[in-house]
Amino acid sequence: MKRILMMLLAVLVIATAVHAGPKKDGRPDGGSLSYGEYGRPATLDPVTSNEMISLRLTELIFNGLVGINEKQEIVPELAERWEISKDGRTYTFYLRKNVTWHAKEGEQPKPFTADDVVFTYNIMMHPKTITPLKVRYEFISSVEKVDDSAVRFSLKRPILNALAKFSFKVIPKHGPANKDYLTRDDPFVQHPIGTGPYMLKNVTSEREIVLAANESYFKGRAHINQFSAKPFADQNIMTQALMFNAIDMIVLVNPRDIPEIEGDKRFVLKSYNALSYSFFGYNMRNPLLADKNVRKAFTHAVNRQEMLDSFFNGRGTIISGPFAPGSWAYNLDVQPLAFDPQKAAALLQEAGYTKAGDGFLQKDGKRLAFSLKVPIEKESEAVKRVVLAFKNYLKNVGADIKVEFKEWQAWKEDVFLEHDFDIVFASWVFDDSADISSLFHTGEIGAWKNNFIGYSNPEVDGLINESKLTLDHEKKRTINRKLHAILAEENPYTYLWTLTNFAAYRDKVRRVAIHPYKFFSFADEWFMEGK
Amino acid sequence: MRSAECGVRNKLRVTKTGLLCVMLLLCAAGSGHAADDAVQKAMKAYEKHRYEEGARDLRQTLSSLPQNKQSAAQLALGMLYLKNAELHQGLFHSSVVVNADYLNRLARERGSSRSKYSDLYLGLTLLESGKPENAAAPLEKFLAGTAEKKHKAFAAIGLGMVEHHAGNKQKAQDAWNAVQSSDQDVKTELAFAWSRAVAADKNAPALCDEVLAAGRKSGAAPSIIAVKNCLGVYAAAGLMDKGMDLLQRGDLKSHAYRESAGRSKVISFYDVQLLASLAKFYLAAATASLEHAAADAQLRSIANYYLSEASVLEGSADQAAKAATAFLASPQAPPQYKNRAMVRQGLVQYQKGKKADAIGLWDELTRNQPNDPELLADVLFACGRLSIECPRPAQTAASAVERGEGKRFAVANIGLGRYYVGRKDYARALTYLETGRDKGNKNKIEFNDPLMLVDLAEAYYRTKKYSEALEIYFEMSKQFPQVRQLQEALQGIYSMEHKSAGDVKIN
Repeated sequence: MKRILMMLLAVLVIATAVHAGPKKDGRPDGGSLSYGEYGRPATLDPVTSNEMISLRLTELIFNGLVGINEKQEIVPELAERWEISKDGRTYTFYLRKNVTWHAKEGEQPKPFTADDVVFTYNIMMHPKTITPLKVRYEFISSVEKVDDSAVRFSLKRPILNALAKFSFKVIPKHGPANKDYLTRDDPFVQHPIGTGPYMLKNVTSEREIVLAANESYFKGRAHINQFSAKPFADQNIMTQALMFNAIDMIVLVNPRDIPEIEGDKRFVLKSYNALSYSFFGYNMRNPLLADKNVRKAFTHAVNRQEMLDSFFNGRGTIISGPFAPGSWAYNLDVQPLAFDPQKAAALLQEAGYTKAGDGFLQKDGKRLAFSLKVPIEKESEAVKRVVLAFKNYLKNVGADIKVEFKEWQAWKEDVFLEHDFDIVFASWVFDDSADISSLFHTGEIGAWKNNFIGYSNPEVDGLINESKLTLDHEKKRTINRKLHAILAEENPYTYLWTLTNFAAYRDKVRRVAIHPYKFFSFADEWFMEGK
Repeated sequence: MRSAECGVRNKLRVTKTGLLCVMLLLCAAGSGHAADDAVQKAMKAYEKHRYEEGARDLRQTLSSLPQNKQSAAQLALGMLYLKNAELHQGLFHSSVVVNADYLNRLARERGSSRSKYSDLYLGLTLLESGKPENAAAPLEKFLAGTAEKKHKAFAAIGLGMVEHHAGNKQKAQDAWNAVQSSDQDVKTELAFAWSRAVAADKNAPALCDEVLAAGRKSGAAPSIIAVKNCLGVYAAAGLMDKGMDLLQRGDLKSHAYRESAGRSKVISFYDVQLLASLAKFYLAAATASLEHAAADAQLRSIANYYLSEASVLEGSADQAAKAATAFLASPQAPPQYKNRAMVRQGLVQYQKGKKADAIGLWDELTRNQPNDPELLADVLFACGRLSIECPRPAQTAASAVERGEGKRFAVANIGLGRYYVGRKDYARALTYLETGRDKGNKNKIEFNDPLMLVDLAEAYYRTKKYSEALEIYFEMSKQFPQVRQLQEALQGIYSMEHKSAGDVKIN
């Protein structure tokens, strides 16, 4: 009975009562909620997407084996319970038996089984699958179906927080056309099928994505009938749309608009702390930018506080490195580089640059000139000002910046696929784990991978590897502090700021709890007053 | 005339109005433009919650101010120090909670890279937790292991303090007498222990003077341990100038000890007592300044008002009652402050065991002024401080904020939030505090009372919204670097507790 090293751990989980159909919490069903988004996502599946807009939608459409509740506890989702071996290397998940996939039109819904879990893992890890997820799941050596309602993962080694990693979203075996690997060409990525509280209904000609409540949701039908994501190219227009009742919610309010919304009793402003920051990223493939002194000079040349104050009314915090200040990994001893144009000039001189006749710097006949690519969805007034200010700051120290606004998909292809850029302006959003490995590890350089700047530093690689291997929280903290210090000194990015995060919604939407990263994790519990 | 001017502003928020009244009093107390500038600048700093900056600047100009401006400057200084004392009491309370949680987790770990010093700092933290008897076990464990002599001496002194708190004065003194060390930090640790024990035969300030003079000779900045200890010693002895000098020279964000426990593992430890010493020191400084101001007949009334608050913070109910009564009896008492003084009288009554009288007084005040958000906030804050249930004020305030429009009611939301923090209903506290916070300037202390932010951070911490709490402390650390001890401990807990998969997305 008590076999070798196996032991039951953390299985005292009260299986959530099976109740497809309405929730029995006394709250009303009905109504629809439309929310403003910053653009249209490239894909709607959880495997190939690498942007926040998709993440928010996939949170409504899909489920993981486990989830995380509002109290930061791991709770059952598609798995109703699990066993972890004593050596921490085997995780066996026992799946709910009453879960069905969203029905394809004209078809009966198919049951969710262990085959789907195995399929998801295999397709996610296939070399030809375009996904940023692989790096997170390298710790798994194999997955096997125990039976239709049980699946077993074997780990290469025990890792910290392994259970949380099984929150990856499961996709159906019958979903993708290609059963081996998933690319952005597969119809599934535009027409996803999940097990979640909402199912894709349609995408309108205005590129609005409409989701309808899944009547058979295994946690009980979501209260709100319909969610729709409306894309806006400009943040100011989005706020006006909220004020004039064209939408019910904004997932991220432009900091400049907070006072306007705050003063209006029709709306609720809800704070949530997404661990995010904005940055200018430098392409290391450009030999001029491969020089650390040049990057450091650029950071010294930019007055970040002035930009934050002028363009965002000071509603944010200047950061010194690759973590958000609300993260446990932020190194409090590292201070942001000071705005110091003289120092910037000296560093560029040290790097061998001299002034040419046109006032810009040059070295060996090459001008210090770069393209700065900015996604068009970011073409809000504030962002325009930021990139133009950046251009001017750099002009003051002799660098010529040509700003190019690109459509979101084209920008992503240039940046993630072709690596055809010199400098980019973008933002990262992290979950609580503050994992920067995909941003800076040499192994993460490649098509559609997050280290699109091509940063490679053996010391950083070594620290990231060590961090992944350790089971000691304090050691991990120490390593992250070192990483912060190195990456602050190296300036692969000019780290800018983390902005104040507020969602705004009409006060008729009730019981709104927001997951700081995934946003809609608890949306099946939201309801509309008076419905 | 001055009261009349204050009365004109009756419809403004009381805090702001009260401050205006005080400013008018301050300006009227004597003449001299440069002096007015200095005092007004200090009051601006007060309004922006930049207590340390305001007090430091005013103190620097104090000797150059004309005699007839000294009282006004002392009143302003007293107000700044008092707020700072209150803030540091709040920070100390939170730091004990967070550090005890963090160190307990570290101390529970096993294996070769287990931290040894977590036992010592857990013991020192528990000493301040209100249950000093719990400190003995970790301190003894630390003493039984291998560690630097200096730190073993800290543990021994801590164990003496456990005895002292238990009423075993002789055992405590024996423990302290047994500590023989030439280490300067150990000397100051002993000095502080003697000072806390009010040992008549020991000259704790002289010990601190000696250690700090030696450090000054060598050109070294005082260690954070010396700052913590000597600040406490000087506060108890009323040696404000020496304490101020020490504060100028110390780096308040420093760790007390940094342990390398195995490869690539470094842990910084902080002594929560630093915040208590700061609170005591600022309170002593506030009392000294306010007493100075109270000697001026023109300012006596308002100085008494603040002195009563200082006595409440000090836990001297009788002194508080006396000062509040004197204030209320004064014809000069600004009317906006009378309500607040009455609320405080209730608090003192409660502390003296007249619980029903206190509740009755607050209920009556609430009944008479159900739409005064400032009054409701004051009552609720008093209840929160005592961690007691006050149903009528809570219900009245909840209705008022539901009906109330705009920022005027922010203060009532904050009052409700702080009340529920006191009641340990953190989810409800969060709702109110988040509503009351200036959203556009989320965690900026210029726009939010830092004490409210400390309560909000604690509510976030208790509800496991660690990153929100960290962001508050990150902002506060720009003005108050001593919150580093909270930041480090909270980061440690967050790193252990988070349940995330390691995801990152472009935005």
